Formats: sequence, C-alpha cells, structure tokens
Amino acid sequence: MKTSSKFLKVILGGATLWLALCGCTKAAVPQASDKVALASKSSIIFSGTVSQLAATSFADVPKSPQTIVVKVDSVAKKPAAVSLKKGDSVTVEVKDASAFQEGTHATFYTDGWIFGSGVAVKELGHELGAAAEPAPMTTAAKPSGQGKDEISDQELLERMKTSDFVVVGRVTDVRKWNVPKPKSGAPSRVTEHDPDWHEAVVEVQSVLKGGKVKGNKVIVRFPNRNDVAWVSSPKFAKNQRGIFCLNRDQSTGAPASAGGQQANVYTCLGHGDALPISEEGRVRALLKNP
Amino acid sequence: MMAGLLVARGQSPAPPSIKVVNLIPASLSGESNQDSEPFLAIQNQNPQVMVASAFTPNPFSMTGNAPVYVSQDGGTTWVLNAITPVQRMTCDITHAMATGENHPRGDLHAGTLACATGITLDESESNDVSLTTTMNVQSTRGNVDQPFVRALGVASGDRIYVGVNDFNQASGRTATIDVSVDGGATYKSIPIETRKTAGQDGPSVRPAVANDGTVYAAFFGWRKFNGKTATSDIVVVRDDAAATGANPFQVLKDPSDKLPGAIVVKNAQIPWSNAAALGQERIGSTLSIAVDPNHSGTVYVSWADKGSKGDIYTLHVRSSTDRGVTWSKTDLPRTTIHNATNVALAVANNGVVGFLYQQLAGGRWVTHLVQSHDGFMTSRDFVLATVPANQPVGQFLPYLGDYDYLLSVGNEFRGVFCANNTPDFANFPQGVTYQRAADFRAKTLNDASGNPVPISIDPFYFSVPVIP
Repeated sequence: MKTSSKFLKVILGGATLWLALCGCTKAAVPQASDKVALASKSSIIFSGTVSQLAATSFADVPKSPQTIVVKVDSVAKKPAAVSLKKGDSVTVEVKDASAFQEGTHATFYTDGWIFGSGVAVKELGHELGAAAEPAPMTTAAKPSGQGKDEISDQELLERMKTSDFVVVGRVTDVRKWNVPKPKSGAPSRVTEHDPDWHEAVVEVQSVLKGGKVKGNKVIVRFPNRNDVAWVSSPKFAKNQRGIFCLNRDQSTGAPASAGGQQANVYTCLGHGDALPISEEGRVRALLKNP
Repeated sequence: MMAGLLVARGQSPAPPSIKVVNLIPASLSGESNQDSEPFLAIQNQNPQVMVASAFTPNPFSMTGNAPVYVSQDGGTTWVLNAITPVQRMTCDITHAMATGENHPRGDLHAGTLACATGITLDESESNDVSLTTTMNVQSTRGNVDQPFVRALGVASGDRIYVGVNDFNQASGRTATIDVSVDGGATYKSIPIETRKTAGQDGPSVRPAVANDGTVYAAFFGWRKFNGKTATSDIVVVRDDAAATGANPFQVLKDPSDKLPGAIVVKNAQIPWSNAAALGQERIGSTLSIAVDPNHSGTVYVSWADKGSKGDIYTLHVRSSTDRGVTWSKTDLPRTTIHNATNVALAVANNGVVGFLYQQLAGGRWVTHLVQSHDGFMTSRDFVLATVPANQPVGQFLPYLGDYDYLLSVGNEFRGVFCANNTPDFANFPQGVTYQRAADFRAKTLNDASGNPVPISIDPFYFSVPVIP
C-alpha cells in the first residue's frame, strides 16, 4: 500500500472541501485530523468524474441506486496488487447517491469491494470539487505477497490496542521449544499446520505500552514453520532489533514457564507484530496521537 | 457467422472445447501472491455459476474477509469476492454447492480454517455468491484439520458432508465426517475410524456422494508414525442412507477383523514431510475418492505412498464395483504414477473416470487429466500445463497445494490446479486464457500500467469434454 506524500500534504493543508463522513451526507467541513483518519482508513483513494448514476462499470457488480460509475482522473492510494489508473472506470457504491450528478468531480475515499475486469469500491467518504492534486503514484511491481504487505497506520493502531505490551527490544537468543506433553498423556498432533514453536529471548530496551517488564527480558514464542497458517507470523533471529507487539501466550497451550520457572512468556503472531527499529518514530507517534 | 448458420439449420452446437483460464482478474494484475491449493464448486442446476478458492489474501485489507473467486459465465471470467468468514486469508478452504434450496447462485457450503492465533474451523453458507454478504457461520470449533466439503441437494434441503481430522475425538480415532441433513442448521460429528491408531489418523478425510444418497468416505488410518513415515491403511467407509441413520458409516465391514471400514490396502508406507520434498512441494496426505453418480456401486480411490527406489511419492488408483466390499488387488492399468501428487478423481455421468494429478518430471510440474471409460484399460491423457518446477521460489508451504480438484458436470470435467503463471503458450498445451495483464510474446506479466510483475503461483480453471 502506498500513499502519495504530496496527497497527504494537501489533506493536511486544510483545503475547504466537503466530505461525507460516517454517513453524514450533509457534511460539515472536517478537521484536518478527520481527513487524515479517513485517508488512513481508506485502501483506495482516487479523484474522478461521475459518468453514470445507478450503474456499474462491469457486469459482476450488483447494480443499485447507490452504485455510480466514476472515470478516474488520478489515483492517490491503492494496494500494489490492484490495477487502477487514469482513464479507468470504477464502480463506487456511495452512501448518498443524491450527492452526485453526472459530471460531478470528486475525490473518493474508499475500500475495496469486488475485483473483476474492473474495480468496484465502497465509499467511506468523498470530497466534492476538483481533484486534490494527488501526485502520480507509481504502482511499483513490489511483491504484494501474503506476508509482505506494509501494515497501515489504522491496522497497526488496532493491533497495538489489543496488545498487552508494545516494546522496543533486541533478540538475544533463539531456540527451539517443544510443547510439554500434557499430563493426560494425549499424543502430540501431527498436522501440516504444525507451528514448530521456537522461543526468542527479547531484551526489553523500552516499553511503549504496558507496565514494567520484570528483569527486562521476555520470552516470545513464535511459529518457525513456513506453513500457510503461519506465513504472516513474524520469525525472529538473534540480534534482531525492533518493535514488538506482544500478547500473553494463549496459543501454545503450554504453561508460562521456562527452565521450570515462571517467566514472562508472550506470543507475537500477527502480521505487523514485529516491526523494524526504523518504525519506532511512527509507532511512538501513533501511540501518542491515536 | 458460420457457427450461427449451422445452429440455425438445426445442427447440434459444437462440442465444448478445452478451456484453461487463469483465475486472477484483470483488476488484480499487480498481484504476486502464492495463490496455491485451489478448490472448485459448481452449481449443478445452474452450472454457469461456480466458486473457486485458493490461498488468496484479501487484496485491500489486512483485516477484511478472505475472498473466493466467482464465475457466472461458465468459467470464462472470474471476480474476486471477499465473502468468507475468515479474516484476510484462509489456511484451508473447500466448498460445495448444493441445489436443494432453490437458490440459483447458492447454496455454497464452505469449510474454512482460520489461523490467526489458533486454528478454527467454520462451517458456513452463502445463499447467493454474487452478493458480497459475508457467509453465515453455522458451526464452529477448534482443534481440527483439513475440512473437505461435499454436498447434495435433495427436495428436503441440502445434505452436507465435511471430512475433518478431528483431534477432539477420543482414543486418537480422529477421522471424522461432520454431517448436516438440514442445510447446515445443525451438524453432527461422526467418527469413522474404528481401529487403533498411532494417536491419530492422517489429515485427509474425503467424502464422496452419489445421487442415490450413498455416501462413501476414504481416510488414512495411521497405525504407526515415526515422524517421517506413516504406516497407514487406506480405509473406505460407506453409508446407504445419506448418513441419516442411527449408526452411520458402519455398513462396510472388512473381512479381516469384521470392523467397519473396508481396508483397500494395509500398511501402506506414506512419507511425511512438512518441508519441501517433491520439488518445492511437501508431501504426506494426498487422497481422493469418487463414486459413479448414477451407479453408486462403482467407486474409485487414489492415494500416494512411498515409491520404489528413486521415486519420492507414487500415486495409485484402485476400484470397486460392489459398493466397496472388494477392491482391485493391484493398481488399475497405467495408474501407478511416479513422483506425483495432488490426485483428484471424478466420474462423469457416462461412467468415464477422470484422474487429475501433478507430476514432477524433467524439472517441470506437469498437470495431467487422464480419462478412461474402461477402468484404464484404455485412456486418454490431456496435459493441461507443464511449467518450470524451480520458479517461482515458494513463499510458504504448500507450494502448489495439498490438493487440487476435479468435478464432472454434464459432458465436461471441470477442475482447478495451481501452477507457475509465466504467460507462455508452450506451458499450456491445450491453450490458456489470462484475465490478468500478460504479454505472451515477451512472456512477462505487468500491472496493466506497464510496470513489470514477478511470476508467482496462480490458480487455473479448466474444462475438458468427457470422452465418449
């Protein structure tokens, strides 16, 4: 996902544009922070001209009074996988069709909907008027593979909200960890999704969310298997530095102990739960101004 | 013009030709995911409508629903529709479309695994796959593996059969069929393993349903497991009343021990590898069963085990013509296939058997559809794809999938497989159509704006006419 920085500057510039936010179709002029939040929530942002009302741009989209066709003038934000460029016709399911007429120019803040011979999106908000001068965006051929997408601010913020701890730290050791056999004697399971649990010892350098960490060290259990079930889960390496979103271990089914002693045992399983240290500024800013 | 004239004079339309279609829509031409492990469902009363799936992530959101591919024109075009109940991407998905509830674009019944922090099975349905409504979850539980869905529409509603390896079952007898005879409103988990296991059965539990309500299921009865090899029986169970009775799947008893479940082969040596073992693919649990839809006494089963010296994984096909009571003692002719996986069997209305598999040969993954009308005494082999096996480099396992799929409808075999997506006609001997932006002269992909896109694994749909 890539957003034009020039486009964001325009948003923050406070242009007096009208938005339909949160279903408020008679929208007031929003605060700059609202615009940033809307842009952050949107996966596809483009400017264009309404060419048809109550219509769709390709056959597989259900036509309704809320669907309009917009000819794209410029694209400000989209996932790398999505093909969208100037001149394309996009179906937009809008919140209030009465806000648009044929020939209306607007910038659309949207989320993806249906992908076929064309793109169909759902409106999250819009700005009426001329395009917000989004800079041309390079749809780089960057792989958009299952584990490689950048995490958006919105998604990262949500992820941090549900984390018990967010820490800056360094991995001092990585080792294989075998789930202890249950007292019931039940056999281990053999599946293609076996996580092959490993433990990373993380030396905590600062805590961005959560309380004090006892001993400034935590154990992070992670699946080392390259199975589809765990493809998005971070893998750890010795001396790796980063920002880690941690949750108390409720996944391995094993006690929170290491070497027979109680320990600070966490998991770090989701996409974006381990970020490079270069993201520290972004993470701190998001936590400061959620 | 000529074709129209011939039809106007009353001649029958030309027989369907072979169709191979890359499923990735044009509007996702920039994607380079490993879209492996494909599956297919056909709405039999409205076979223009189909649903396919693969390990395809939601293309625009890390938290949105995992998508499926939907075609409403017989497989010529496909759209991506994010309707499954799983966030972003499933880690197992199969499905079937039943026709008992008069929904022309439904009812899609899916079994999905979500793998966010643990593994959760959802059994869900959609009454209309053209809509973007999230599928309705009807049953959910954890601690299971590899759901495999079949369904049959009858006047009273949809009957759904989901093979699962259920670790909740007692005594390690994990092979299980989840049965619903009320369209998914209620499910009952029925253990089908009756023998002692090595702590569990193999992951693949495969049901097959005939039109008369006969239901078969095949599974790997693991008797020993040493971490690298499962000593396994190939077991088939049967139910003659759509699994609606008090003791389903008990009728077929093996003469060796009088226990339910016919043993097709005893103590097969199944190699197990959670790492790349056959090319870039893992191995350990490929299994398929198919029943003649109109003659439920005829049934075929196929699996792979440890091959002879020099072979990694060898496919076999056996058959029964007496409702699974006795089985061919040796492989059917020309069905012992070396270094191959992803077997899928189907039987057409005229009794012709389709045998889909992917073989590693000469550094290439070669996808075959073999058809036979006489138990493979004679057969015809259609090579659907032959692609380099070393490219692209795998992003995760499974590389192509732990399965692919084959169905029959009318006079067609329809199915799905995954392959390297290099746009090269030489890789697709029957021809191929790409929806995504591709330059077949330069043999390159692009994002429709002129930017290059790296090759990856894509799902392909195919339709092949059934031989007479």
